[in-house]
Amino acid sequence: MPKFAATYVRVVDRWTDRVGLVAMYLVFFMIAVLLLDAITRNVIHFPLHWCVELAQFTLAAYFFLGGAVTLKNDDHVRMDLIYSHLSDRGRARMDLVTLGCLMFYLVVMMIGSVSSLEYAIATDERRFSIWNPSMIPIKALMLFCIGLMILQTISLFLKHWAVLRGEDLV
Amino acid sequence: MSYELIALLMFASMLALMLTGQRVFAAVGFVAAGAALLLYGTGGVEMPFNATFKLFNWFPMLTLPMFIYMGYVLSESGIAEDLYRMFHVWFGRFAGGLAIGTILLMVVISAMNGLSVAGMAIGSAIALPEMLRRGYDKVLITGVVQGGSTLGILIPPSVVMVLYGVIAREPVSQLWLAGIGPGILMASVFCVYIYIRVKVNPSLAPRLSDEELNMPLAEKLALLRAGIIPFLIFFAMIGLFLMGFTSLVESSAVGATSATLAAWWKGRLTRSLIHETARKTLAISCMFLWLILAALAFSSIFDGIGAVRAIENIFITNWELTPWQVIIMMQVSFILMGMFLDDTAMLVIVAPLYVPLVDGLDLGIDGQMVWFGILYTMTCQIAYITPPFGYNLFLMRGLAPKEITLVDIYRSIWPFVLMMIGCIALVMMFPDIAMWLPRQFN
Repeated sequence: MPKFAATYVRVVDRWTDRVGLVAMYLVFFMIAVLLLDAITRNVIHFPLHWCVELAQFTLAAYFFLGGAVTLKNDDHVRMDLIYSHLSDRGRARMDLVTLGCLMFYLVVMMIGSVSSLEYAIATDERRFSIWNPSMIPIKALMLFCIGLMILQTISLFLKHWAVLRGEDLV
Repeated sequence: MSYELIALLMFASMLALMLTGQRVFAAVGFVAAGAALLLYGTGGVEMPFNATFKLFNWFPMLTLPMFIYMGYVLSESGIAEDLYRMFHVWFGRFAGGLAIGTILLMVVISAMNGLSVAGMAIGSAIALPEMLRRGYDKVLITGVVQGGSTLGILIPPSVVMVLYGVIAREPVSQLWLAGIGPGILMASVFCVYIYIRVKVNPSLAPRLSDEELNMPLAEKLALLRAGIIPFLIFFAMIGLFLMGFTSLVESSAVGATSATLAAWWKGRLTRSLIHETARKTLAISCMFLWLILAALAFSSIFDGIGAVRAIENIFITNWELTPWQVIIMMQVSFILMGMFLDDTAMLVIVAPLYVPLVDGLDLGIDGQMVWFGILYTMTCQIAYITPPFGYNLFLMRGLAPKEITLVDIYRSIWPFVLMMIGCIALVMMFPDIAMWLPRQFN
């Protein structure tokens, strides 16, 4: 494999892990925000209407930020009826082909995400609620995450390719 | 091309792609994105991303990461070991006592968690090795852990019911209450089955030695303390929710917090536990949420081509089915699809097709949609354990001790599938098994 492939995989995987680490700990943020809501309303009778909404934004950020790292670690469920009987090379060959499907889905998501972000910026889109937060940050974050997932898919592609050539990139 | 044919083609290509072993969400998302472009041209390019904001608005999905987190903390907290010891001593003298104790353990775990992940982790880490060591039949106990852990989605809390509740616009509290009766029914059926099997063939479950079970009554009673923490967690989570103090999503956060506190109380809350749990929670949450996201895109295309109307045509106009036959056909199709398709994707894709149809049927049952949700959840339980595709099968393969082979796993589930089908039939014949309890709270 050319040297730049190894460098690419190393850099992208490192960034994927970093972003994944941030995502991981957002679960505690969600717990804290929801708990805050329950406590302020029941104990000091001061309802905070923005808590659930903030948690919703966090959930969206959570699974988008976690997208790339879960691709890298192969955490997504597969129907492995045939796949589990393949050799390592067989799996790499199969994945090399079918990663195209993932790539296609992600690219379509990316196009949708760009146009959705453009719309949000052009109209200064806000969520219709008492809190009335801007939708621009979350949409920008989603675009960033889909981008990272695409970079990670390329990294997976290179890794499978290396397996077929009998090399190890990592 | 007719819309029925398009729907069929989409389903077939999704299944074919899944068989390649690529990530399920990629297979579903690819078919959805491809169909959107083919059907609507460049105007369809935004459909897959738009599903993001549909999912965003389903705020009850916040319970998903909470329950996953909670399940992992509980299984590491040492609570399950104490409970298992309690059931072991108290039921040790029964025929198949440890297996019955395992079912009861699963009931308690199910009452604290909304997925089958926690039950699987606890069952295969604690119950399976103990029973293997004592010479229990491995096919029997593998089935017990798999079947028992699916109670997680029937006994409240339940994430599957939350997802059904969002799709069918039914109150989650009613669904959760309606799950209690069938959950107890199913657990009892499992226990009776174990008892009879072992009575007929005692070699399946050797009796425990007397030294192991003989202990002073005071000690036996002391073991019951193992039930205190689970009860407190259940009360903080479900009790406060049903009494109206906390909302659904808040109650799941309360559950996550109380599980963390319990782990701290048992001295298990280490930095590495927190890190590992957060990592596993992210992995499972992302798996489910990306799957739901892709399936939502798929389902919005089905919506666009009027698949609901198509199914109505087939069931009611073409086949002239009576309302009860329609319900039975739906259950059969759920069970068959559940074998081959991904269970979460199936919920998101198929439930929106069936729900409006069931709503229009005259079955003479109060709270018909809640009742249907319970039937639906029970078919999901079957889907979780039936090969070739089921979440519990996946988990079992990863978690089970080495002595248990794939063949054992596949052989072990059939009695449980039959019992589950039997329970579904009972809930259909006697809807009050599910509906009596929610009526008391109405």
